[in-house]
Amino acid sequence: MSAPLLWIAIPFLVGVSILFFLRERFSAFIGGSVAAILALIALIFPIDEALLLGSISLKISPSIQFFGRSFEFSAADGALLAIIYGLAALWFFGTEASGTANRFVSLGLMIVSLLTASIAVEPFLFAALLIEIAAMLVIPLLVPPYQKPGRGVVRFLIYQTFAMPFILFSGWMLAGVEASPGDLGTTTQAGTMLGLGFAFLFAVFPLYNWIPMLMDEASPYVAGFLLWALPTFTVIFALGFLDRYVWLRTSPQLSNAIQFAGVFMVASGGVFASLQRHIGRMMGYSAIAETGLLIIIMGLPSSEIVNLTFLLLIPRGLVLAVWALALSILKRNAYSLLFNEVQGLARSFPAAVTALLLAQLSMAGFPLLAGFPARLAVWQELAGQSLTMTLWVFIGMLGLLAAAIRSLAVFVMADEEKKWRVNESWVQVTMLGLGVIGLFILGMFPQILQPFLADLPSLFNRIGQ
Amino acid sequence: MLILISCLLLFVTALALMVLRVAQPIARYTWLVAAGGGILASLSVFLWLAQLPFEIALPAWRPASLFTTPILFRADEISWPFSISMAALTLAVLLTAAARPVFVNSFSWVGALALGGVGILAVTADNPLTLLLVWASLDLTELITQLRSVNGKSNNEKVVVSFSARAFGLGLLLWANVASAAGGSVLDFQSISAGSGLYLVAAAGLRLGVFPLHLPYSSESSLRRGLGTSLRLISAASSMVLLARTPTESLNSMASSLLTILALVAAIYGGWMWLRAPDELNGRPYWTISLVSLSVISALSGNPSGAIAWGCALILVGGSLFLSSVQLPWLNRATLAGVWSLSSLPFSLTAGAWLGRLGFFMPFVIVAQALTVAGFIRHALRPSGRDSLESQPGWARAVYPAGILLLVIVQILLGFIGWDGALQVGAWLQALLASLLTFGLVWATPRFRILNPIRAHWVTSTTSRWSGVSQGFWSLYRGLAKISQSISVTLEGEGGIMWTLLFVVLFISLLAQGSP
Repeated sequence: MSAPLLWIAIPFLVGVSILFFLRERFSAFIGGSVAAILALIALIFPIDEALLLGSISLKISPSIQFFGRSFEFSAADGALLAIIYGLAALWFFGTEASGTANRFVSLGLMIVSLLTASIAVEPFLFAALLIEIAAMLVIPLLVPPYQKPGRGVVRFLIYQTFAMPFILFSGWMLAGVEASPGDLGTTTQAGTMLGLGFAFLFAVFPLYNWIPMLMDEASPYVAGFLLWALPTFTVIFALGFLDRYVWLRTSPQLSNAIQFAGVFMVASGGVFASLQRHIGRMMGYSAIAETGLLIIIMGLPSSEIVNLTFLLLIPRGLVLAVWALALSILKRNAYSLLFNEVQGLARSFPAAVTALLLAQLSMAGFPLLAGFPARLAVWQELAGQSLTMTLWVFIGMLGLLAAAIRSLAVFVMADEEKKWRVNESWVQVTMLGLGVIGLFILGMFPQILQPFLADLPSLFNRIGQ
Repeated sequence: MLILISCLLLFVTALALMVLRVAQPIARYTWLVAAGGGILASLSVFLWLAQLPFEIALPAWRPASLFTTPILFRADEISWPFSISMAALTLAVLLTAAARPVFVNSFSWVGALALGGVGILAVTADNPLTLLLVWASLDLTELITQLRSVNGKSNNEKVVVSFSARAFGLGLLLWANVASAAGGSVLDFQSISAGSGLYLVAAAGLRLGVFPLHLPYSSESSLRRGLGTSLRLISAASSMVLLARTPTESLNSMASSLLTILALVAAIYGGWMWLRAPDELNGRPYWTISLVSLSVISALSGNPSGAIAWGCALILVGGSLFLSSVQLPWLNRATLAGVWSLSSLPFSLTAGAWLGRLGFFMPFVIVAQALTVAGFIRHALRPSGRDSLESQPGWARAVYPAGILLLVIVQILLGFIGWDGALQVGAWLQALLASLLTFGLVWATPRFRILNPIRAHWVTSTTSRWSGVSQGFWSLYRGLAKISQSISVTLEGEGGIMWTLLFVVLFISLLAQGSP
């Protein structure tokens, strides 16, 4: 068995099978189980190493050729695959509780497998194409059948599509830069092209306006999945660029531009989140702020970039899953997610509201919760470089905190006679409860991520130098 | 290890009560379990004295290259007085529960025990990171407890406002950490830079309602005597420990004078309102503000151990008054031992409170202290509106006074043993002046109308004086919201893509100009 077959082809085929052959009520369990099994295999079986089980020898070969392109995984990819499929399993198990249709699990599996392929493909520039295909597969998820796509969906597709030619074109130019490193003009042009491509992919300010629009018009659970999946793989793709091209890491102009973009995203995302009156849009802006943090990390002149990135990415998956699940439960019971519609819901949906608020506080870096350790580490690293930038990041996080407190105030503002009552189903309470426990565990004991983090720097071994 | 033993005794007892509540809701021995846990925990904290100082570290966060500060708890001459005060208060809450009208295995016993445990963890936190984590758990616990116990939109809003003040206090403590990291050092209480020290005091002040002056706790909660007392006093004391741990050298700046003035205003205001409060429970927020402000002034004057004294006085003297719900003349007189503890006279609990540099602030400090002590005397001697022990069984009649007396004994004992501030003559002249002024105020209270108590419904905790500031804040907020909405409408409207591309071109040209 080859690794690309196992972690790309199989989940893709399972996704197709679920879409065409499986009933809705089994899809969450099947999809979640497949993703969980793939995560476990990635954790237990090393790639390209023989494993003896009694008299049977098992070996997962690292690569496969497909239409002249190679898909390769190294031994160090095991931890990464475990993280990706582990978090995907969490999202798929949650679909039952969120009430999302079976298209989520099937298309979700296909999207995750395509994005996983983007990590493995060689030449690695083809990742841009795979990300674009994954983005197109998101559309049927976002738009219910026989309905016209909203403005946010259209804009999302436009921006993702803009990203692809910029990145492919920059790849062609980068080959020229490698051939003649002294050519400043080509270097600047290649850097600008690459920057624009990633600006579209990461949804850097002001290219992020599709995110709050999407949170307004689409299912929160689907939009949350999108906000988890695309930035996660885009970050890995971007780290690949930084790892391969030395001049990208050493150029102070590029580093400044990356950090400036990141700080702007964090500060504007935080401030805009605090000024919203729609709890779905708040989630969108919070995700934007966190993507900004990831961009800041990539611009840091530090040997800890990979550790910091994954310390932030892993809790992000959990936080967004809990938040999106809670939002979708509330949306099914409230007319909309505007403040005046969700006022006082803490007493009728205590589990969903508690989970939502804890996820929101976690995103703001509240101590004890999953987001805190990573933010603390980022602040400390950034403070050593520039206190002004740290202050802006801090302002952004305070904005997210203010947003969480506003949400809290709205949720608890119930009439005097309203009694506390749990209206969520037991599946919903269980899923939310597990998610909340996860938030606290990751917040209090971030060292449990160490087995995953230990091998990851070897994936990008030139970044840490 | 002893720290963990004391805290675990409280947590395990709380857990046992919860299990009993589910498994045997009508069991008659639950109070014995609760009180037994409280007694053992208090005794175990006394045992710390044999080993002081000692510390315990939790498993380190990893990767070690990113997290250099360990999660560390330390028992020393700063944390011990706070810990014994908190353990005693927890035990007193359980002992006095015997005389409460509703005597069942209630959520409030579990809450009091858990709060005692978290409080001890907070005061033993040896670095800001550890303190941040414990503060956060205390804030979340308090938020949940308060939200469960209040009704109505306005009371819920007060709970959220109180939580937000404390959350932003957490933010300030975090910023102190970041500022320290910018200077190339790791923040711990032993090596705080001059800039970071003030952030720490400001963080404590914000959480405690001193900077800017506001009352973080509403008085309308149904949690009045037992858990309510525990909640307010332990929560406040856990923030005051930060003042005690801030070294004097880190506070030498112009801003410390400004902070002292603000704290003085809060102390005098708190003392004045406390003196005129209709009863001790309605006045409790002012008691807290007043003692907390005196504690801040002590710390800013270069005497962090004074902050310990005021913190212990807040818990022990306040606890003995707020837990007294039964009319017993001899016990009321015993409660008056609190006057001695608050007086700063030689060998009292607060004897070492004014050993710092007060300068020309001294007369105002004396006024603030006198107002607070006079208020205490007035409330301790007020005989009306309390229950009687007549209808209680014999054991309850013995146990209830023991709870109050425990707090009285511990506050006298702390004046003599166990920490740096004990057995001090202190600033006796200042203490004498404050005492004279106190007795003057007590004499004058029934004679001058201005000193008479105000009516209960006039005591508006957070809203009235704070409303001006909050109105200004909301106006600013609404203005910003309008601007943000305009930007969103522009970028998300029909021409949004064109505007976005225009912005992108603008940014690229700006960045290109900035590069060489």
